[in-house]
Amino acid sequence: MKLWSRVRSVWQNLLRKRQVERQLDDEVRVYVDLIADERIAAGMSASEARRTVLAEFGGIEQVKQAARDHRAGVGLVSFWQDARFGLRQLWRSPGFTLAAVAALALGIGANTAIFSVVNAVLLKPLTYPDADRMVNFLRPSSVIANNLHNVPEFHFFQRQTNIFKQVVAFDSAGPGFNLTGGRPEQVHGIHVTEGYFSLYGAHVVLGRTFTHEEDSPHGGKAAVLSYGLWQRKFGGDRSIVGKSLSLGNEPYTIVGVIGKDFVADVQADVWLPFQFDPASTDMNHFFYVTGLLQAGVTVAQANVQLLAAGSAYHREYPRTNQAEQFTVGPLRDSIIGDARNSLLTMLGAVGLVLLIACANVANLLLVRATVRRREFAIRSALGAGRARIVRQLLTESVLLSFGGGILGMVLGVLGMRALLAVSPAGLPRIGEDGSAIGMDGRVLGFTLGVSMLTGILFGLFPALSASRSDLNSSLKESGNRSGAGLRQSKARSLLVVTEISLALVLLIGAALLIRTFIALHAVGPGFVAHNVLTMEMSLNGERYQTTAGLTQLLQDGRARLNALPGVAVAAAGYWLPIDVGDDTGFQIVGRPVDKDCCVSKWMSITPGYMSLFRIPVLRGRDFTEDDSADAPAVALINEAFARQFWPNEDPIGQHFRRGKIVTVVGIVADFHSSGLAKPADPMIIAPIPQVRDGTTAAYSNIQPLFWLERTRDDPRLSIAAITEQLRLASAGFPVAHIRTMDEVMGRSTARQSFNMLLLTVFGAVALLLAAIGIYGLMAYSVAQRTQEIGIRMALGADRATIRKLVVWQGMRLALVGVAAGIAASFGLTRLLSTFLFGVKPWDPAVFVSTPLILTAIAFLAVWLPAARASKVDPMQALRAE
Amino acid sequence: MRSKQANLLQGTLDLLVLKALGPGELHGLGISRRIEQITRGTFLVKPGSLFPALHRMEEAGWLTSLWGESENNRRAKYYRLTKTGKRQFELETEQWATVALAMTNALRAT
Repeated sequence: MKLWSRVRSVWQNLLRKRQVERQLDDEVRVYVDLIADERIAAGMSASEARRTVLAEFGGIEQVKQAARDHRAGVGLVSFWQDARFGLRQLWRSPGFTLAAVAALALGIGANTAIFSVVNAVLLKPLTYPDADRMVNFLRPSSVIANNLHNVPEFHFFQRQTNIFKQVVAFDSAGPGFNLTGGRPEQVHGIHVTEGYFSLYGAHVVLGRTFTHEEDSPHGGKAAVLSYGLWQRKFGGDRSIVGKSLSLGNEPYTIVGVIGKDFVADVQADVWLPFQFDPASTDMNHFFYVTGLLQAGVTVAQANVQLLAAGSAYHREYPRTNQAEQFTVGPLRDSIIGDARNSLLTMLGAVGLVLLIACANVANLLLVRATVRRREFAIRSALGAGRARIVRQLLTESVLLSFGGGILGMVLGVLGMRALLAVSPAGLPRIGEDGSAIGMDGRVLGFTLGVSMLTGILFGLFPALSASRSDLNSSLKESGNRSGAGLRQSKARSLLVVTEISLALVLLIGAALLIRTFIALHAVGPGFVAHNVLTMEMSLNGERYQTTAGLTQLLQDGRARLNALPGVAVAAAGYWLPIDVGDDTGFQIVGRPVDKDCCVSKWMSITPGYMSLFRIPVLRGRDFTEDDSADAPAVALINEAFARQFWPNEDPIGQHFRRGKIVTVVGIVADFHSSGLAKPADPMIIAPIPQVRDGTTAAYSNIQPLFWLERTRDDPRLSIAAITEQLRLASAGFPVAHIRTMDEVMGRSTARQSFNMLLLTVFGAVALLLAAIGIYGLMAYSVAQRTQEIGIRMALGADRATIRKLVVWQGMRLALVGVAAGIAASFGLTRLLSTFLFGVKPWDPAVFVSTPLILTAIAFLAVWLPAARASKVDPMQALRAE
Repeated sequence: MRSKQANLLQGTLDLLVLKALGPGELHGLGISRRIEQITRGTFLVKPGSLFPALHRMEEAGWLTSLWGESENNRRAKYYRLTKTGKRQFELETEQWATVALAMTNALRAT
């Protein structure tokens, strides 16, 4: 009954509004009429009776509004009214609306963009079945910080069944596989152990994954296909299982196909079994290990137990580094890595941009509220309570922010796409060129939430201050020239000061990152990247399991390339000079044996590698063709190596033991082998023909060979000829990842340039918004004070004085903002320190120049209204009143 | 007269309106007069409180309204108690009695 009557009332109130209104009208009028009737009957004149009744009644409209406010569904009705009225109001002042929506779209757009990245990288859950119990095995104490493991370690981990339910291994980048037969193509394949697919929750659409036998030595050649390769290469043939796949001229039997939705951290087209030998004592670290914790075991407990078990491992393998410890960390953390800090910093920065945008719009709203004071006074005279007026204003500001939000969403997603296209971010989990970044429920919710919140944030203060106005004086005032109250102009000044200080914080951050970027690029990498072409070849097959086979390919290939007219010099090697990822232990001959002493980076090359990259040989000689397998073992070292291991002796002619006795024949200049931001590590360089067969075989599985050519002109012009010659030399192998060395260098600083670009864009937006903010404030203040300025001029102030007056008023705010901004920056730039290179967080040049730039722009923004003020015609200004 | 007028206690207005409508239907002014009469002039209900209350109680389903002729031939809106309204009146009367007794005792306590 009660519910029914309510529903009926809502229905009536909403849909038969006119009738309900007329009845309310009649009801109230009759009340007045009835009393008036009595008074007329008592002898009052008709007009006198009405007048006294109305006076006692206390405002017919207010009474009616009070009655309306009690109706069911009133919230809905008045919200609809507010929204429609708000839209009309905004429509009627397009300049204001456009400015506000644009500022908000910039702020919200920037936030949406960053949040969509944060969402993809940090927030989206891992798609694996027991992702929260999955851990990565780490090697925190290794010399080169990587988390690669070897076969004995893997088997040791597998034996810890009280800690781990399952332990699997996989390699990552890998060399790729040459899919031969038909047109040669290099596909991305990785090795995995038997349990990999079930641990990572791969869904099998056809056939099965590897059996235990297939993942054991001599288990035959089995392969599992990805959905993509199955569709692309085999047209989705449903009878594919059991058929043969030719990888590097060797037949593999296809045992299964994995579903389309399988997304692992290491993407692959094809998977092959590792086939580890349980008795292996191979100490090479070349794959990653992931485990599933037993139910109820925490990461901390696992680490304690693993530490205890580690000593057993070291007893079993006494030749290993005894100080080395094994630990595990949540899989999630090792995937995200150090991207978290950088993203959260950016989220903070972009939050500041939004705050500035909010301050700007709040400022605009305050101005508008002053102009609309009469309107509010009339509304409250007609029965609107303060709450209703505040609600109306809030509705308008939320409308504005939603407009900004919708525009910002589009702007943000497009902007992020463009940015990622310009500068690949080097972030995990974002897919190829950021394809995993996009709109989903969470990003949408975030944008809507931010819009709502900003709408209330910047709307509430102006709304409260507007609704406080005194009805009587507002109505009496002429309205258009009534200056802003003292309290309000203080509030607006505070907003502008805040804007400027926040903008300065962002600008200083951006300037520091720009300096980092410049410093990074000013670092001589130690080699000349220009006009060098790099390409990768995967050496699958029996022939390349021995050094002799490889040497033959290298000689033939280099001879063919050197004969090309466009190629000045050709060489090959494992690893590019900017990224050398292998290390080795060694003993210096003639010194006491110390097992844990000597570790260095290690790479192998052909003759020509050093001269191709223009890495100078400082002393001794470079490799020649004579450094063959039969010749005495030789090595090059770099300056860092010489400094560390032979600080007081001449290294040339010295020997070290690395399997066999090796003679140092030359010292090359240092180059940045771990990226530009890190100094050169000690490095041993070996000629490929002298590398052990075991190492060659291992490398053929884990690392592609780089073919390198220094070209006479644009390297791109020679690609076709070079790839053709290499195909001929290798009997049909394709090359992949063809890049100029300049591109490789760009990628190596991708994260830094991404951060720099982002913060620079934010800084520029902040600067623009702050400039608009102070300009708006001063322009409005000049408009308000036209009359005062007129009087001053009439009393003899000249134009320069007026200009100075206005400029000083504005610049005072700007300077206070700058001072506050500098103070805040001193505290905040420390957060950036991990992203900086070659510049201190309190770099004096940045802390002096950036405030100066901001001050100059503020001056410009203040100058325009000041110039206008000085052109005021006193006669006109005074007459205008 | 004015000075004697007490502020309407929160919640008493509803009860008074329900009581005033007990004998039969009345229009707005009639209700206001009736309350003045039964409280011996202690309560003067102003239109600013009366109309919102009437509308609220109608929405709640305690009152229904109909349009009829007034004493001097004006079309006026008359209110009448519904069944729910009568139950509400009994309920609120009981509550009021409890509160009044409690208050009186409390104030007399030494």
